Amino acid sequence: MSFLSPLFLVGAAAAALPILLHLLKRDPDVRVKFAAVKLLKEAPVEQTERHRLRQLLLLTLRIAALVLLALAFARPFVPDGAAAAASRATIVALDTSFSLDAPGRFDRAKQLARSAIDRVPAGEAVGVVTFADEAAITAKPSGDRVLARSAVDEAAVGFGSTRYRAALSTAAQALGGRTGTIVLVTDLQEGGWDAGDRAVVPEGVAIELADVGEMPPNLAVVNVHSAGDRIVATIRNTGPSARDARVHVTIDGRPAGDATAALGPRQSGEVSFPAAPGRAAVVSVDDPGGVRADDTRYAVLEATRAAQVAVITGSGDLAREAFYAEHALAAGGARGYRPVGLSGATLASMPANGLNDYAAVVLVSTRGLDRHGRELLAGYVQSGGGLVLAAGPDVDGEVVADVLGHDAELRVSTVPGPSATPRAIAPADVRHPIFHPFASNAAALGLVTFRQAARVDGSGCQTIARFTTGEAALLDCSAGEGRGLVLASDLNNRWNDFPLHSTFVPFLHEAVRYVGSGRAQGSDYAVGDAPAGAPRRPGIATVADRQHAAPRTVAINVDPRESDPARLTPEEFQSAITHMKDAASAEARGEARQQEDRQHLWQYAIALMAIALVAEGWLAARTV
Amino acid sequence: MAPWAAHDRPFLDPAVVARLGTLELKARTIVEGFLSGLHRSPFKGFSVEFAEYRQYIPGDDLSTIDWKVFARSDRYYVKKFEEETNLDCHLMLDVSGSMGYGSHHAMSKFEYAAVLAASLAYLMNRQRDAVGLTAFDETIVQMLPASSRPGHLRAVLVTLDRLKTAHRTDVSKPLHLLAESLTKRGMVILISDLLDDADAVISGLKHFLYRGIDVIVFHVLDPDEIDFPFERATRFEDLETSDEVLAVPGAVRDHYLKALDAMVERYRRELGAVGIDYVQLNTKHPLELALLSYLSTRARAL
Repeated sequence: MSFLSPLFLVGAAAAALPILLHLLKRDPDVRVKFAAVKLLKEAPVEQTERHRLRQLLLLTLRIAALVLLALAFARPFVPDGAAAAASRATIVALDTSFSLDAPGRFDRAKQLARSAIDRVPAGEAVGVVTFADEAAITAKPSGDRVLARSAVDEAAVGFGSTRYRAALSTAAQALGGRTGTIVLVTDLQEGGWDAGDRAVVPEGVAIELADVGEMPPNLAVVNVHSAGDRIVATIRNTGPSARDARVHVTIDGRPAGDATAALGPRQSGEVSFPAAPGRAAVVSVDDPGGVRADDTRYAVLEATRAAQVAVITGSGDLAREAFYAEHALAAGGARGYRPVGLSGATLASMPANGLNDYAAVVLVSTRGLDRHGRELLAGYVQSGGGLVLAAGPDVDGEVVADVLGHDAELRVSTVPGPSATPRAIAPADVRHPIFHPFASNAAALGLVTFRQAARVDGSGCQTIARFTTGEAALLDCSAGEGRGLVLASDLNNRWNDFPLHSTFVPFLHEAVRYVGSGRAQGSDYAVGDAPAGAPRRPGIATVADRQHAAPRTVAINVDPRESDPARLTPEEFQSAITHMKDAASAEARGEARQQEDRQHLWQYAIALMAIALVAEGWLAARTV
Repeated sequence: MAPWAAHDRPFLDPAVVARLGTLELKARTIVEGFLSGLHRSPFKGFSVEFAEYRQYIPGDDLSTIDWKVFARSDRYYVKKFEEETNLDCHLMLDVSGSMGYGSHHAMSKFEYAAVLAASLAYLMNRQRDAVGLTAFDETIVQMLPASSRPGHLRAVLVTLDRLKTAHRTDVSKPLHLLAESLTKRGMVILISDLLDDADAVISGLKHFLYRGIDVIVFHVLDPDEIDFPFERATRFEDLETSDEVLAVPGAVRDHYLKALDAMVERYRRELGAVGIDYVQLNTKHPLELALLSYLSTRARAL
């Protein structure tokens, strides 16, 4: 029996203290030698022995009730049997990313995993974790080697890419606070660590690497895009020798061309095909000895263009009024956005659903924005659209008050003239999604100097970043089914130097992605990022983002980074791991909490306490 | 109103009596004081013998003034007579364990009973009655035959002084034994707390009546037994059997008092019905009241 909050057990002792004091300090029994006891015996009184028994029973029930109460608060649980018995455990983490899909590689990985299981000393628990983009515990730590080997046998290579952080985190969780070893069976791809990524494992947990070996010579289709009347495919040769890559393309299942590309060692090349009418193209390369999953790539021909983002300025001329925002949004090619400049006058003549084709709207100026335009924006946001408002010098506070709708009034006031003190921006809550790109370097945002800012506030808005002077810098506003982000400054290098910093592009992308999450985005997804409703495997899929919305066709492909044969040395791998003392206890606490949640023993303690109290009440009513 | 308020002087408080030295002194103090306070001599009988002259004091019967002496000396003297009787009085004193109970503000029942017995013996001796003593618990533990010899009183007092309480009570058995042993009519005075089987006690007492012997029962009870003044939960230990009973007085008081009243009432009713004087004594009340009862019964017996 273990306890989630054992300190409450001290409470049980404290609760018994008054009883103890009562017992110690109570007056001694009054004893009287009496002559007429014979007459007393005829009265309904208790005999001493029976009374003592009842008193003892009462005391026991009262103490039991208090102890049970403390026990319930201490959240008891019974640790899992065999796993709990073993103080050490070995977790075998098996890489199932598609880079192991080359002939014989995954078999070798499984063999390494089995060997690792067989090496675990008797009496030590062993568990299995499989990982790619995500990790899963396929065999909980136990003394059953057959179970662990069975989990390895049943493991299959998938289409995900390697993510060591997920693997180590899940393996540490599987250890459940025990010391032991994590045996990582992988091909040590460099791409398994994101830039600046680090994994934290508990102190006392050793990391062993079982190297599957480097990737065999491989040809991969790493990109397919439509360029006017042609379909262009990028083929990468990761081998050490030059190869002729035979490439095929089919459009909507019909062969549409073959081509051969001569690729030098570790070289990429493009192959183009004439575009034929069709919805989706599949480009494949002949690579019998290499990784199979990256030999084919899918593309949606009719929607290979990036999602549109409306940028509302005074005249609609982005080059003049929103130069930096335009270029920032467009950065990233197909993974970026296609900014479209709209003026207030354009909005005035736009039909009610005119903005529905845009993934998001960036409002940088209110000049020319009339009532109809504001209602159009409000309706767009209320129906699930996203608005990014840059409250710069061209934004009139009175005009934007209702752009999010009447139930989400904005209060924006601009202070004329530059501020006496430049200020920086600091996230109030770094867990907010738009700060994810800065998770490892949130301080980079602080390098931006804001010379002037508007005062922003709004009902239903949450301040997610503040200036160093304390004013709200970024608001996250909820309006109907949509969302708005309000930046208390401009995006055009007038009140701040934000566009000149490297954080500007990811910030704007994340802001648009965040507010426009309810709208259609691009059509090319990696397996790990596949939209809801789409299968987690490469192919062409049709998904409906929202109810009543028209379904859209998306292409789901393997992550081309996984085809990169660059490898880490064991030392480089180990250097990305941090052993933390608290991590062990945190893992143990997490595991204990889960077990306690499953067992709910505290409820039984409370029930028993209630029974004890009822019995105590019943007995007390019948005791002198 | 206190029961002795009608008299010229208050009777002696048992607490005061308890502080007197010997049993003889206690008895003499009680009896002499008691007798001197009576308005009318109770000694008047069919056959009297001149004892002495005594100077008249207000309250004396005028018929007892010796006018011849007044004529000679010009002073009033009254003639004192002593009755000539052949009354045998037997004091039966309960010395069972239960008699040892005494609350802190009074004598124990045994002490009270012993002083009462001594006083009665003293009084009887002064009246030239033969006095005997039988101490008993579950059997007879001490017995002095009735005698009116001058030295007998001392023997009675010494015996009383040496008695201790100890064992269980069985009143009926000694009563029957004594009843069987008495051959002469007389009087039996039972001093006991009567915490025994009432049927057996009454049966034993009736045995004396069959033999023509008058009986007075002094039922001695402690104030605690009469009022049951306990407040806190108490473990009551039986003085005779050591049985323990734990009780909250507030919860059992009514029941106890009813049981006591029922017992007293039964004795009063059933003994009164057969002509046995039943006197309930509270150990915090003066002993003289008991003497009055005795004298009243004695007068009837003669």
